[in-house]
Amino acid sequence: MTKTGDIHGLIKALQSNDADIRTRAAQSLGSLGQASIDPLIRTIRTKNKTLKLGVISALAGTKDPRSGIPLIAALSDESSEVRWQTAIALSEIGGDAVISALYNALKDEDKYVRFGAAISLAKLGWKPKDPTERAYYFAGMQEWLAVKNIGKPAVHALTGLLKDPDRTVRIKAIEILGSIGDSEAVPALMQSLQDSDQEVRWSTVLAASKCGVSHMHLPRGISKRPLNTKNPWIAGFLNFLLPGTGYAYLGKWWGALIFSFDELVTLWIFKMEGDNNTFALIFPVYLILGIHAWYMASKIPEDPP
Amino acid sequence: MENIEALKKSGDIRGLIRLLDHGKANVQWWAADALGTMGETACDPLLKILDYPKVNVRLGAIEALADIKCSRSVKNLIQKLQKDFNSEVRWAAALALGQIGDPRAIPALEIALEDTDRYVRYGAFVSLSMLGWKPADSTQKALAFIADQDWHAVKTLHSAAVFPLINAYRDKNPVTRKKVIELLGEIGGPEARSACENALKDPNPEVRWCAVAACKRCGIETEKIPQVLTDRPHSTPSPLGAAVLNLFFFGAGYSYIGKWWGVLVTLCYIGVVTMIQLNWGVLFPYIYTYPLTAVFAVHTYYSVKRMPDM
Repeated sequence: MTKTGDIHGLIKALQSNDADIRTRAAQSLGSLGQASIDPLIRTIRTKNKTLKLGVISALAGTKDPRSGIPLIAALSDESSEVRWQTAIALSEIGGDAVISALYNALKDEDKYVRFGAAISLAKLGWKPKDPTERAYYFAGMQEWLAVKNIGKPAVHALTGLLKDPDRTVRIKAIEILGSIGDSEAVPALMQSLQDSDQEVRWSTVLAASKCGVSHMHLPRGISKRPLNTKNPWIAGFLNFLLPGTGYAYLGKWWGALIFSFDELVTLWIFKMEGDNNTFALIFPVYLILGIHAWYMASKIPEDPP
Repeated sequence: MENIEALKKSGDIRGLIRLLDHGKANVQWWAADALGTMGETACDPLLKILDYPKVNVRLGAIEALADIKCSRSVKNLIQKLQKDFNSEVRWAAALALGQIGDPRAIPALEIALEDTDRYVRYGAFVSLSMLGWKPADSTQKALAFIADQDWHAVKTLHSAAVFPLINAYRDKNPVTRKKVIELLGEIGGPEARSACENALKDPNPEVRWCAVAACKRCGIETEKIPQVLTDRPHSTPSPLGAAVLNLFFFGAGYSYIGKWWGVLVTLCYIGVVTMIQLNWGVLFPYIYTYPLTAVFAVHTYYSVKRMPDM
C-alpha cells in the first residue's frame, strides 16, 4: 500500500486489531509525508480512539509543521492516552507554539501525559528558565529528589499533584511539601486531610504540621474524610418497604435473594389468604426485618482514620 | 462569618456551641476558634458538651478548651483521651492536654503512647514533647519512637523495643502492622518470634507476606510456616456452599462468590421454573432442572477451589 500510495487503505489499517499492523501503517503514512497530511488532519477528529492514536503517530512521522496546530488541539483531548501520544508526537514537530503547549501539558492531571511532555521538551532542547519551570519539568520526569532541592518555588507544581489519581504520586508530593515546609502549601494540604486514602491522610498530617498548621486543627480536618459507613435509617427503611433491599444496600450478597423470595412468598400468601390476612401476616415480619437491618448498619465499625 | 463575629461580641456561648455542628466545616472551625477566645467563662458550658453524641461538637469543645488553656478541664480531657470511642476525639484530647501545658496530664499521655491508633499515639508524643517530657527508660523511649514512627530509631533499641512493638501490632492500620513485624523479625528473640508467628494469621495478605520473611529471619523452621499460615482467616468463599446454592437456587451460588449477575440468573431461573409449573404441574420441571443445575454446581465447586487465596 505504501508503494501504491493508498492513503485511505493505510488510514483504515490504523484501526486494525493487531498493534504491529497499526504501527507499520502509521510509519508508512509518516513516510509518505506531504501527500498524507491533509487526509490525516481530516481524520484526527474521529471519535475512534485507536484510529486517533494512529493518526497522531502518523502525523508525527511526517515531521511537517502543518500538523502542529491539530496536534496541539489534541493535547486537550478528553482521553489521557490520546494526550500522552500527542505529547510524545509533538517532539517531532517543534516550534515555539509546540513548546509552550508542551509546557502546559506538564500541568496535566495524568502522570503519563506529564511524563511524555517532559521527555518531549527535553528532546526539543528546551531548558527551564526559572526554578518554577524547573519544578514542573522535574515533577513531570518524576525526579523527586530534584524537585525537593528546588525548595519553595516548587510548591505550586507540587500542590497541583495532590489531585493525581495515583496515590503514590500524591504521597510523594505531600512528603516533599512537608520537607519544604512552606505555608503556601497549607490550603492544599488541608484539602488532602480529607483524601480518600488512609496513607495519603497520614502523610498529610505529618506534612501539615511541618508547614505551620497547628496540631490542634488536624483532628477535625481528618474527621471530614469520606466515611464508608451506611446510614442505618436508610437500611432499615429499605428493608421494611422491600425486604432484602436493605441488606443489599449494606453490601450483603444475599440481599437480592431474600428480595426475590419475599416476592414469591407474598404472592403465594395473597393467593391463599386474601388481602387483609396477608397484610396482618407480613407487616410484623417486615417490621422485624427493618429493625434488623437498622441494627446491623449501626453495628458496622467505622473505618480507622 | 459576620454572624459569628456578632455572637462573639455579645458573648453568646450557647449560640457558638450550636454552630459547632454546622453543615460547613469552615463555620465549625470559626465557631471553635471564637469559643477559644471567650476565656474562663466558656469553660463550664464547654465541659458539659464533652460527651455530646456528635463528633464535631466534641472536637470543637476540645479545640476551644485547648485555646482557653482551661486547667480545670484537664481531668475531663484525660477521661476523653482514655475512654472516647472515636480516635479523632482521643487524638484531639491528647493534643489539647499538651497545649494546656499542665504536667498532671503526663501519666495519661504516657499511657496514650500505647493507643491502638497511630494518630492518638502521635498526638500523645507531640504533647509530651511540648510538656518537656523525657523518656525514663528504654521501654518508654521505644514507645516514643514508635509513636513518632521513627522506625530507624526503634531498631537501634534492640530487645527493649520488642514489647512496645508487640503492643503496636494491635494497630488497625496494616501499614503500621507490616512495619512492626518487619522490625520484630530483624530484632528477633523468643517473644518477637511468637509475635511473628502470630502475624502469619493476620487478616491482611501483605502483613502475612511480611510475616513469612520475618519468621524466616527469626529462625522459625521453614516447614512450620505453611502450617501456621493455613490457620489464617479465609477470605475466599466456601466451594461447597457455592455449589449447593447453585444446585438448589441456581444463580445464588454465583451471587455468593461475588458475581453481580448471579441475581439475574436466579430471577430468570425462578421465572422459568414457575412458568413450567403453571402449565405442567409443580414437580415436573425439577426432573430437568436438577441435572442441569448439578452440572453448573460441579463447575462452580471447582472454579471456586481454584481461586487464589494466600
